[in-house]
Amino acid sequence: MTKLLTALKSLRLQLSGKRFIAVLAIVLVLAPVSAQAIGLGDIVSLIKTITGTLQDAVGTVLSEIQGIQTTINNYRQQIIWPLNELNRARGFVSATRARYSGLMSQIQSIKNNSASLVNPKQLESLLRGGQAGGIPQFQQFYTRVYAAVPEANAARPIHRDMMDIDDALAMDALKTTVVSDQTTAQLLTLADSLEQQSASAAPGSAPLLAAQARVTDLLAQAQMAKMLAAELRQEAAKLAHQNALLKQSATATRNLQNQMQQILKHP
Amino acid sequence: MKLPANSWTLLRNIVLLALALAVVVLILPGKARSQLGLDPCCAIISAGLDTISGLLKSVVAKPLASIQQIEQQASDFERQVVWPAAAINQARSMAVQAEGQFVQMRQVFQLPVSSATLPTPQQLEQSLLSRNPGAVAQISNDYSALYGPITAQTDAPQPIRDLVDMTDAAAQAAMKRAVEIDALADLELQAAEQINQQLQTAAPGSADILEAQTSAWLVRANAYTQSAMAELIRVRSIELANEGARLKFSTSHTGTLHSTGGQVLQQGVQ
Repeated sequence: MTKLLTALKSLRLQLSGKRFIAVLAIVLVLAPVSAQAIGLGDIVSLIKTITGTLQDAVGTVLSEIQGIQTTINNYRQQIIWPLNELNRARGFVSATRARYSGLMSQIQSIKNNSASLVNPKQLESLLRGGQAGGIPQFQQFYTRVYAAVPEANAARPIHRDMMDIDDALAMDALKTTVVSDQTTAQLLTLADSLEQQSASAAPGSAPLLAAQARVTDLLAQAQMAKMLAAELRQEAAKLAHQNALLKQSATATRNLQNQMQQILKHP
Repeated sequence: MKLPANSWTLLRNIVLLALALAVVVLILPGKARSQLGLDPCCAIISAGLDTISGLLKSVVAKPLASIQQIEQQASDFERQVVWPAAAINQARSMAVQAEGQFVQMRQVFQLPVSSATLPTPQQLEQSLLSRNPGAVAQISNDYSALYGPITAQTDAPQPIRDLVDMTDAAAQAAMKRAVEIDALADLELQAAEQINQQLQTAAPGSADILEAQTSAWLVRANAYTQSAMAELIRVRSIELANEGARLKFSTSHTGTLHSTGGQVLQQGVQ
């Protein structure tokens, strides 16, 4: 009988349920009478084995699984995502927003316009308006304050060209600042929306908002690079201007020397 | 979480064995039962099967019901607290809203800002504002056309020519860098828009991947900004160096003037 049980156990591991039943039924039906004449003790022993397996192997494992499931569940609900902490974080976002956003908007909206005369006032208003729509008027207002490039007969061509490029790069940079101010306002709106969304976000939706914030940050960096490019152009033009003056000065000095020598040669 | 596969197989086999045994015993005719020797002990077998059934109820079914309850609770918690669909959709709609803003900002930055009025400055300005790295090669010509070529050998001493050349080089390099930075910024803006479009359909699990990619782009953007900053510092350093050189040349010229003046005066006295 022990051998039969061992064989059954090994069969149990190797055969699937339906096959096992079929094999068992066939064995019982086809077995010779002498072989089927199992004693009462054997049956009791078989039942004891089954109950023992149910109690020890199955019951213990199931209890352990139940314990593990409970632990994991509690860990998730009490340590990783405790509801009170989630609500507290949301409350913190709302409180921070309420505390700072108003103040920051007020500071940002302070007007720094300082010009007092008509023409500078107009130009300054355009400069600080943060409206790219005003860009076409720029040339007109700029020229009223900084004057136009002299006529062809009023200055040397190189000086006219230098004045024109100086004006152009100054205006380009000023226009870029207007564009930048407009996009800054849009970035601030986006940042505000993101913070507002964070106040009602779930742990599962927060990564989406974080990714969105990073993308917006990338956009802001790109715009910052454009501002930096404008500054580079400006500084380069300034340097080029100084250098051009040095070149002209060298040529002028050489001409002066030549003329002096001619004068000294022919008194 | 699920039961380990081995436990399920073991449990299933035991239950099937018990059921098969019961079925065989019930189906077998009386004689066969006698052959098995079951007749005298039906009560014992029945008690045994009752015990098995009781055990299945208490040891197996009860923990399974409890596990099912825990699973349900965990599922509800995750759906309602951790990953609520409404919050996820709301976050996605934020990306849709941002797209409009992104497009607007890109368009505003593409507005023409050119302002030069004369042909030569216009040519240089066009190259400078082109945002086209292909135009970089053109800048040196445009620059020389406007600011003049390097001073002729006969027009200035070598130290002055070196200074002029160095200064022109720094100014031109900065202008070229500005064009490159503009082009890179355009690419960053395009990438930002594309990542944002991906975000509109992203899942909480894939959002982390997109965030990681955006972080990489940010590192890149910071690196480009840093290189532009370095160019700016170079321009300002050259400017400062020029100031110093002028002072040095001026000192040298003053010394020459002193000695020449002294010689002239001495000749006059003699």
